[in-house]
Amino acid sequence: MAKASDTIIGIDLGTTNSLVACADEAGPRLLPGPDDGADFLLPSVVHIDPMSSQATVGAQARAQAIEKSTDTIYSVKRLMGRGFDELAIERERLPYKIVSFSKSEENRDVAAIEVGSNRFTPPEVSAMILRELKSRAEAQLGQRIDRAVITVPAQFDDAQRQATRDAGKIAGLEVVRIINEPTAAALAYGLDRGERSMIAVYDFGGGTFDISILRLGDGMFEVYATNGDTHLGGDDFDQKLIELFTSEIHEQFGVDISSAKIKQQLRTLAENTKQRLGEHDQAHVEIAIGEDDQYKRTVKRDEFEEMIKPLIERTIESCSRALKSAELNPSQIDQVVMVGGSTRVPLVRKLVGEVFQCKPYTAINPEHVVALGAAVQANILAGGRHDLLLLDVTPLSLGIETLGGAIGKLIPANVRIPCQATETFTTFQDGQTKVKISVLQGERELAKDCRSLGVFELQGIPPMPAGIPKIDVTFLIDQNGVLNVSAKEQRSGQVASVQIIPSHGLTQDEVLRMTNDAVTYAHEDMTAHHLIDVKTTTEFDLNKANKMLEKFGSLLNPQTQAQLIRAAADLREFAKESDDPVAINQQREKFNHMTIPLAELAVAASLQIDQEDAHKQTEVASDET
Amino acid sequence: MPGLRTMTLPSKCLNCDVELSIPIVCGGCHTLYPIPQTANYFDLLGLPQQFDLDGEKLSDTYRAIARNIHPDRFAGQATEMDLLATKLSAQVNEAWRVLKDPVRRAEYLLELANGPSAADCREVPGDLLARVMMLREDLEEARDQSDEQTLTSLRCSIQDERDHAFDNIAKRANDLSLANDTEKKAFRQLLNSIKYFDSLLADFASDPLSQGNPQQ
Repeated sequence: MAKASDTIIGIDLGTTNSLVACADEAGPRLLPGPDDGADFLLPSVVHIDPMSSQATVGAQARAQAIEKSTDTIYSVKRLMGRGFDELAIERERLPYKIVSFSKSEENRDVAAIEVGSNRFTPPEVSAMILRELKSRAEAQLGQRIDRAVITVPAQFDDAQRQATRDAGKIAGLEVVRIINEPTAAALAYGLDRGERSMIAVYDFGGGTFDISILRLGDGMFEVYATNGDTHLGGDDFDQKLIELFTSEIHEQFGVDISSAKIKQQLRTLAENTKQRLGEHDQAHVEIAIGEDDQYKRTVKRDEFEEMIKPLIERTIESCSRALKSAELNPSQIDQVVMVGGSTRVPLVRKLVGEVFQCKPYTAINPEHVVALGAAVQANILAGGRHDLLLLDVTPLSLGIETLGGAIGKLIPANVRIPCQATETFTTFQDGQTKVKISVLQGERELAKDCRSLGVFELQGIPPMPAGIPKIDVTFLIDQNGVLNVSAKEQRSGQVASVQIIPSHGLTQDEVLRMTNDAVTYAHEDMTAHHLIDVKTTTEFDLNKANKMLEKFGSLLNPQTQAQLIRAAADLREFAKESDDPVAINQQREKFNHMTIPLAELAVAASLQIDQEDAHKQTEVASDET
Repeated sequence: MPGLRTMTLPSKCLNCDVELSIPIVCGGCHTLYPIPQTANYFDLLGLPQQFDLDGEKLSDTYRAIARNIHPDRFAGQATEMDLLATKLSAQVNEAWRVLKDPVRRAEYLLELANGPSAADCREVPGDLLARVMMLREDLEEARDQSDEQTLTSLRCSIQDERDHAFDNIAKRANDLSLANDTEKKAFRQLLNSIKYFDSLLADFASDPLSQGNPQQ
């Protein structure tokens, strides 16, 4: 494979589908999968073989989802950066098994997925999707890729952002930037629009909802406010239908839906019903129950809209809060850009139009635009262009737990990033050399109602009487929206080290171990990939040689000609039978060496033809004069 | 190549000798200048230290600086440059956040004049506490009776009182550096009163629907 390149790819790592894109002077473009007529969308579905732990990603995994429901992982994005205890609803809904990865330390709670006898953390599963996208890009661009910009929902907290970055690392990608999905969409939308305007990006995806308000103009994309819900999406529309079907099946047949297979079947049915109701006024539903029974029903659009309206109203409340934070009225918004698959639902468009008092903009593909924006940002960071700049905000307030379980806010929500705050701490005991700080994110007043990011332990404080050390701790939220903490003792100037125990995330050691594990898996994948590559190249070389033989073979002496035909047949046979890429390559090179005299003849012959052509043209030209 | 310099803010770029039209960064060669300890938010944005600011100009200046010091500008360069750009951006963002909001700007001017902080002095002018308490009772009563008319007139009167307090702040904010301790204390009391009015007004805005349950 080619050497590492300067190209940075843009990745939309979605709940339902993921995409990869790249950008150059010509603008951003999506990169398709390897198959003929392949889609740009890679279903974010991973099947893990319970015996071999071999992963299959995408459409193939999704196709088997009903048969192999307990080993097929979808919506893993909902689990990123979350603890087992927080996932009660997901544990109920999802057919695969969610377990606790680690509870060794106090207050630490990381979820994992159990397949067979193995446990995979959400970043590891996401890494499998990322690796697939990475190899897609490598195949399309013909170069090794090791850097990426990955998008996340604007409302993702620090733990969820860290988990996304860890996933990149495990997949062998340096995540040069994490950007917010609605901001990425705005970048793609506003790329070719010169005029200054105030826009709202309404991003309603499979599992998350974001609303961001931005000012566009002079090449700057400035976020004024963002709001949303990381646990609200099209999945929840499906869930409403599933609940309806489940309760009616129970009523009619006295059957409880407990098997993972039927759960998965109902989910597929719900997805299809939702899609059909987007275009038609009603949808017919049919599913076999046991041996003899069949559940049948027609779902009317009105009925469906009645069910999902409360969910959409939650997004509308977020819109109002975002407008308020931005200190704007709906009438000051020039355009509402609709992003994410769930904006295809007619009622969503209607209610959004009402709140912003305008017709929402739906002319861009709502599923493509985020990846395209990520690619534009990737191109900016690769040094490709300097005329564009994103200025984003932090979605949640950052604070520390104070005495009595309250939260002391350090950085409010919707502040431009990078941003920082410094707080001074001291010791309570003589000679104390460590101080623990519990860091939180959220808008609620009590620490227990906010998200705990982890405990930051300041170490190496010079021993002094209690209350004397003054330790300035700087909390810096960087351009990725990720928290960095540093500490310095005022008097001694000594820099204290900061040890982080993430509440719902992986430690650096764990990420490193998973990266190494993944490289081992990847080696097996690589051999398979490499074999396909070599076989394809061999095929290409053979076809080229055969064409030359047909055209110019007669110029060789008959013996050499026969030898070459024989060698070509042998190589074709060998490449077909062998599964050793190195051996095939050796044979291919040997064969190519044999074809050199033929190639030379071919070049000479074609030059002669060219000269004859040129000669003829000159004649024509001279006739004209 | 952009370089890294550590000294007080110069008027000309030490690297390319171009006049610095905006502080902290040279528009020509992108040399970054770390902020001197003594610089305040006004210095940072190259604006006069006063209450009356042209909002448009403030935003334009902010954008011009933010554009040139954002870490994206220094992507792929040495880590120190990236880190310096991040820190400078954080400081400029904070300066903008404080100065663009008139109440925060007034608070900051009082701080620069060594006036009492909100923690130092929690007092409010005259009978404000009693007045707020009364307003709150009226509000509850009107809300219980769904008396829209009274609610509207109550809100208007609170808004008027807030505007009045704010006008007083605006009048005095430019002269804080010359003010004596009593005047600074009075200024602090006015600022505190704004908080009471804002919290009352926020109470009005919160109808049951928008109160909702903030997720997470």
